[in-house]
Amino acid sequence: MSTKWVGKRVKRIDGPEKVTGELKYMTDYQFDDMVWGKVLRSEYPHAKINSIDIEEAKNLHGVICVLTHKDIPGFNGFGIVVPDQPVLCSDVVRCTGDAVALVAAETLEIAEQALSLIKVDYEPLEVVADAEYALTESAPKLHPDGNLHSHVKIKNGNIEQAFEEADIIVENTFYSPRQMHAFIETEGGWGIMDDEGFLTIRCPGQYAYRDRMQIARSLAYNAERIRVISSPIGGAFGGKDEITVQIYLALLALHTNGRPVKIHLSREESVIAGIKRHPFKVCMKTAAKKDGTLLANQVKAIGDTGAYASLGGAVIALAIEHSCGPYKIPNVDLEGFCVYTNNGISGAFRGFGVNQVCMGIETHMDMIAEKLGMDPIELRKKNVYHQGEVSSVGHIVKSSVGTYKTLEMAENCDLWKNREKYKSEVCEPWKKRGVSLATSFHGIGMGIGLPDYGAASIELLPDGKFLVGVGCEEIGGGNSTVYAQVAAEMLKCDISNIRIVQGDTKNTLDGGTVTASRSTYTGGRAVAAAAPKMTELLNQTAAEMLNLPAASVDLRPNHISADGQIIPYKSIYEHLYEKHQSTRVEGHFYLPKEKEEIKGSGGAPHHLYGYLTHVVMVEVDTLTGETDVLRVVSIPDAGKVINPQGLEGQAEGGAVMGIGYTLFEDVLIENGYHKTRNFTDYIIPTIRETPLIETFPVEEPEQSGPFGAKGIGEVVMIPIIAAIMSAIYDATGARICHLPATPERVFNALKDLKNQKVQSTR
Amino acid sequence: MLVSEIDMITPSSLSECLTQLSKEGRKHRLIAGGTDAVVRMKEGKWRPEIWINIKNLKELRYIEESKDFIHIGPLATHTDITHSPLLQRKADVLVDAAGEVGATQMQKMGTIGGNIGTASPAGDTLPALYVLGALLELTSLKNKRIVPIQEFIIGPGRTVLKENEMITKILIKPQRQNEKGIFQKLGPRKAQSISIVNVAISLTMDQDRKCVEGKIAFGSVAPTIIRARKCESMLTLGPLNDELIQNIAKIAWKEVMPISDGRATAAYRRDMASALLERGLYRLIRRWENQ
Repeated sequence: MSTKWVGKRVKRIDGPEKVTGELKYMTDYQFDDMVWGKVLRSEYPHAKINSIDIEEAKNLHGVICVLTHKDIPGFNGFGIVVPDQPVLCSDVVRCTGDAVALVAAETLEIAEQALSLIKVDYEPLEVVADAEYALTESAPKLHPDGNLHSHVKIKNGNIEQAFEEADIIVENTFYSPRQMHAFIETEGGWGIMDDEGFLTIRCPGQYAYRDRMQIARSLAYNAERIRVISSPIGGAFGGKDEITVQIYLALLALHTNGRPVKIHLSREESVIAGIKRHPFKVCMKTAAKKDGTLLANQVKAIGDTGAYASLGGAVIALAIEHSCGPYKIPNVDLEGFCVYTNNGISGAFRGFGVNQVCMGIETHMDMIAEKLGMDPIELRKKNVYHQGEVSSVGHIVKSSVGTYKTLEMAENCDLWKNREKYKSEVCEPWKKRGVSLATSFHGIGMGIGLPDYGAASIELLPDGKFLVGVGCEEIGGGNSTVYAQVAAEMLKCDISNIRIVQGDTKNTLDGGTVTASRSTYTGGRAVAAAAPKMTELLNQTAAEMLNLPAASVDLRPNHISADGQIIPYKSIYEHLYEKHQSTRVEGHFYLPKEKEEIKGSGGAPHHLYGYLTHVVMVEVDTLTGETDVLRVVSIPDAGKVINPQGLEGQAEGGAVMGIGYTLFEDVLIENGYHKTRNFTDYIIPTIRETPLIETFPVEEPEQSGPFGAKGIGEVVMIPIIAAIMSAIYDATGARICHLPATPERVFNALKDLKNQKVQSTR
Repeated sequence: MLVSEIDMITPSSLSECLTQLSKEGRKHRLIAGGTDAVVRMKEGKWRPEIWINIKNLKELRYIEESKDFIHIGPLATHTDITHSPLLQRKADVLVDAAGEVGATQMQKMGTIGGNIGTASPAGDTLPALYVLGALLELTSLKNKRIVPIQEFIIGPGRTVLKENEMITKILIKPQRQNEKGIFQKLGPRKAQSISIVNVAISLTMDQDRKCVEGKIAFGSVAPTIIRARKCESMLTLGPLNDELIQNIAKIAWKEVMPISDGRATAAYRRDMASALLERGLYRLIRRWENQ
């Protein structure tokens, strides 16, 4: 099919204003009559609250209000799945991010002063600092049902027999870090209540409608009287999926006499209170036959979800669903535990549990290949499932599967083909290079058990342009450009005639979250569902205007042609306006789903998956243990690529985020207290850690998607983790199973290796 | 003290600044580039009653050479240092070190006087100043004294500087014709990082890889910068071949007394003192041979 916009390198429609800094994000705004809100966080990771005294704080000059749990009109809790996180704690605090009171004041400084005047009488309780300890009898219970939030299980075949019959078994334990989203714009926003009691919350988020529901529940307020504007976002990566400050803004706005109230977390507060990626401990045992056929995989994964559920249960479920990689392993025994501790709060983060298990299965693939003397690509090719085959979790994969193609592409890329040459090009004797690859996949959409739908509106505007409304926010990934491309393609107009509005409960329909690698697929398909209705509206109106049969009217580039006449869209608008007819159409659809849930899996399988293979080259300084990623080849199967430039942006950003996860990043918490407090000691990659990244998509079209597209937002950061780990091994012979692979960890592994060699030669 | 209650004055000359510093009965502090001061103010650690803003005191921003010394004004920024042809020729180790401070923005704002005054054990220019035998001119309204840098710093963040004094000049001995230096830093990443260990080396070389005299100073491995005298004395034992370099490097861990913190453990720091010295000496010899 020939296209004008879809599949083309279309420039970001939001690019110029973002690059020049002209765009104001919501937290950039200031108003003359504004007031500042601040949140009092807990002093202890686990403590009983005996009393809260706000008198002195209230009496400080310049303080407008001080609120506690007593001031919550509705339900004192939030949480996407289980609302077990108090808006404001009343009896117990369970992490240092817990909110105890709110203040609004004339200046930020006064608000901060007021916080210091609130007297909370705490009685410290024993801290649950470790997920495995949390599961023991002796650990204090953090929630009424205990410390096990969720337990998922997938079992197929006969694992014991398979291990007995196996020719080769590898077994290892992997530890992964507590990664921080590190978005540029920390959590923040605005709340304002107008004279009529209409509440507007402007706060970057990943699902305006759900945020509105959670606000309404806590305020006991008619949701229709609340407007949430959640786009644009200065970065989120999953960290703004859950409620951040929306409910605080709403509560304060009830008490500021109509003045707009702003909360904007400092980086230090964001580190403590913001959601993080679940640290996992993964024990994995994988078996294969001599010829490389995978026989069995046993996985036990424990995820530290911190003090509250948020999306922890779903993260563990997705991890288990993906814990065998995109392979067909007949015998599996997979088990995941989502555990409460007093270590901050863990939740959604790009990859959503898959990062933590991919590093296990892919490391095992390389170990098996090495032991069998097989090429690592051959071993993978032999074991991948193809479309129509049964996956390791036991379902027939009906949607498109590109793994094999990505592996072929990897085999033929310059870096892999010439790896021995590149590896030999070190310039100092203590530097060692390694080249390795890994592959992974990631479910698109919500999985079973959660309704999943898309919706979009298209409105003809007075100037003859189209306003396309999609609920999914512009999170920074470029979905607005994708929606404009789909709309321009289908309405046969120039892309400059498309305007996009996103993430606004007043102006967009509920179309679900911007998460789960779903927004290109879902939003794109929703726009594609609405566009024919707009075409029909245009044609019918033109026919009506000219008194012609509808069939003689034709949609042409940027106008309607009928009977030799040209009708601009502007006149169609005027005609409809005069007749008091709507100029707006809607498109709705339901995301395809698997019919049967795998028992006990917590939502598996997904209907759609995106696939990706990474090839990387690293250079290790064996004197210091420093690892430098020199080259990355990213080979995604995102179905049909709607915007190659956008895909490259995702692939490059994902690769760098994966490098950070593997080599640098970890929020350190000791006994419930954060040791990592700011970007001074939280190390994310800079441009100097950013290697050459090449992106070569294999386009395995997905029938159900808009123009054949799938999703790719998460898997772009996943296999690179395992690939870097294996490349370090290829370079030095040291296996790092505990991330991040900091210079110190790599150096110590090299030291151990040296000592082992010395011992074995004795 | 609230941030909004802090005053700031901007003296227009050195003498006016010294007069301000001499005023008693109030808490004041100098602020130049602000790369440390603003951070500490935000953290609540530095909350003087008055900031004395010296950023624009042009008379303290210079790099000049006299007969025996190179004179550096305390307001010379790290960028001034890296861009100075004089320092590139005669104090390459300091140029190296200034180029490793933080990131471009910090190098443009941060000053050498500030880096010295902050006296962080991890301060990147300090080891270079130690091997260059830096002398500091400390001036008050009524007095002027010269203090060697190793006597100036007495502990992490602590110096002999009095309330009414400021650093008005840094004097370093220019490197000789046959002298070459290098600065090596290990941080948690390449840019924008605080040193886990750093080392400055300056060697005076003869024919055939023979070192006549050498100076080595480590940072971030003790409460203050450490001159590695034992390693220095071994530099002249023979031609600096790979074997001697490795032997010297192995001794380095004995000369340091690091602690564990969020960035690294003491054991790793000790190993890294050796590793950086080995890497630095190797690279320095290469530089020497390739010049």
